[in-house]
Amino acid sequence: MVVTFGYKQRNSLVETFDPRARWIFSILSLFTIVNFWDIRFLLYFLLISVVQYSFTRLTWKETKRAWRFIFFLMFIMIFVNTIVTSAGTISDVTANPHVLFAIEKPIRFTMTIERLWFALTQVVRVLSITMLFIVVPFTMDPRQYGITFKGMGLGDKLAFTMDLAFRFVPTLARDFGTTMDAQKARGYELDNLKGNIFKKIARMAPIMIPVTMNSLLSGEDMVNAMDLRGFSTSGKRTWLYTLKYRKRDIALIAYSVVVLIISIILPRVFHIGGFWVPPFLIP
Amino acid sequence: MKKGSLWSFGTRAVVYAAIGAALYGVLSWVFNFLQLPASGNVALRPAVVIPLFFGITFGPIVGFITGFLGNIIGDLLSGYGFWIWWDLGNGLIGLVAGLCAGMMVDYKRGKDILIAEIFVVLACAVGMFVASVSEMWVSGLDFATAMATTFFPAFITNIINGLILTPLLMLAYAAVRSRSGR
Repeated sequence: MVVTFGYKQRNSLVETFDPRARWIFSILSLFTIVNFWDIRFLLYFLLISVVQYSFTRLTWKETKRAWRFIFFLMFIMIFVNTIVTSAGTISDVTANPHVLFAIEKPIRFTMTIERLWFALTQVVRVLSITMLFIVVPFTMDPRQYGITFKGMGLGDKLAFTMDLAFRFVPTLARDFGTTMDAQKARGYELDNLKGNIFKKIARMAPIMIPVTMNSLLSGEDMVNAMDLRGFSTSGKRTWLYTLKYRKRDIALIAYSVVVLIISIILPRVFHIGGFWVPPFLIP
Repeated sequence: MKKGSLWSFGTRAVVYAAIGAALYGVLSWVFNFLQLPASGNVALRPAVVIPLFFGITFGPIVGFITGFLGNIIGDLLSGYGFWIWWDLGNGLIGLVAGLCAGMMVDYKRGKDILIAEIFVVLACAVGMFVASVSEMWVSGLDFATAMATTFFPAFITNIINGLILTPLLMLAYAAVRSRSGR
């Protein structure tokens, strides 16, 4: 079983940024976006996410699986939130409603302008956030995750754990394939599990147990090998890859920090950025 | 596991956290890819047993990294993007399960299996609750919607998988340990 990450070198503009700067930008942008319920602000952040996405050289073929997943989740959440329950966590939506239409049968249901506009705002907000993060797996080299998080303040051991985990992935995928083949040779059929849900899950055991136990046993050898090489001793460590901030990275981080500060101040001090409905929609 | 070493992070923890994360990532990807037939709304997501088992066996830090990093790897492999609040929820599953690591004496003893099962339920509840509630913050869902659309489907799926597979892995691990003298 061959396992591959979605990353490949694309020579895109986004890849020229330091991965630490990109993580800081993405995470601070997440904290920025969640401060707003005003669609005008959210459209700005959506534009930023679209711009970033357009600079990644990603194709629809590469990302369609992720997009399908996102649209399915968004549909379920927003449908239930808008139609079934009380439409959102913010009281502005239900405080002073303007009825768009109401039905009595088969169930009593009232759709308000605020509720519908809130659903649209939710779509923009969720899209801004997901589009920001969807590019990460395709445009960031998994080999650099360890050093990236080390550079962002994570301890050497934690950063090395990340590095090691990515290196284990192909080996464990191969072990899984070997185990699967061995069990199939004994008549085991993973794609034809019979019985109720409990029986089906229990029948996963012939696959789950050998793969897990083999990896645990090989782990003991790895622990011994690392200890023999002095991994547990303290002291300054060096990394195979090194990262260096450039001016554009500093500018990206500075932008992210400034926008986050503004997003914290605007709603709390100036009461700007809360839920907003265009006045022309209100009768 | 010795009680004093519950929160220590030495070479052993580094290696097993990495193995756990890689294993969780690979198995999540494989079972997403295979799209196994299930009953009703309960999906077959057996990989969730990995952060639970690694937490119970190696402690809360290993459990947390297994769940958190493993979920990231699984999503990277499956091409689902990056969902940090769900990664955190998966990490918490391993962390809460790991809180009982100090109570484990013999992995095949009935009492230890019962304790582990109680922590499986607790861990799934805490992890999926935090992830679901964070959807209120990110997506603006109300509490009822967050519970109905995210918490209950994920929680039920995870406890069914966890309650069935965790004891099987514990029994297998007890046998492997006694056979290998570790």
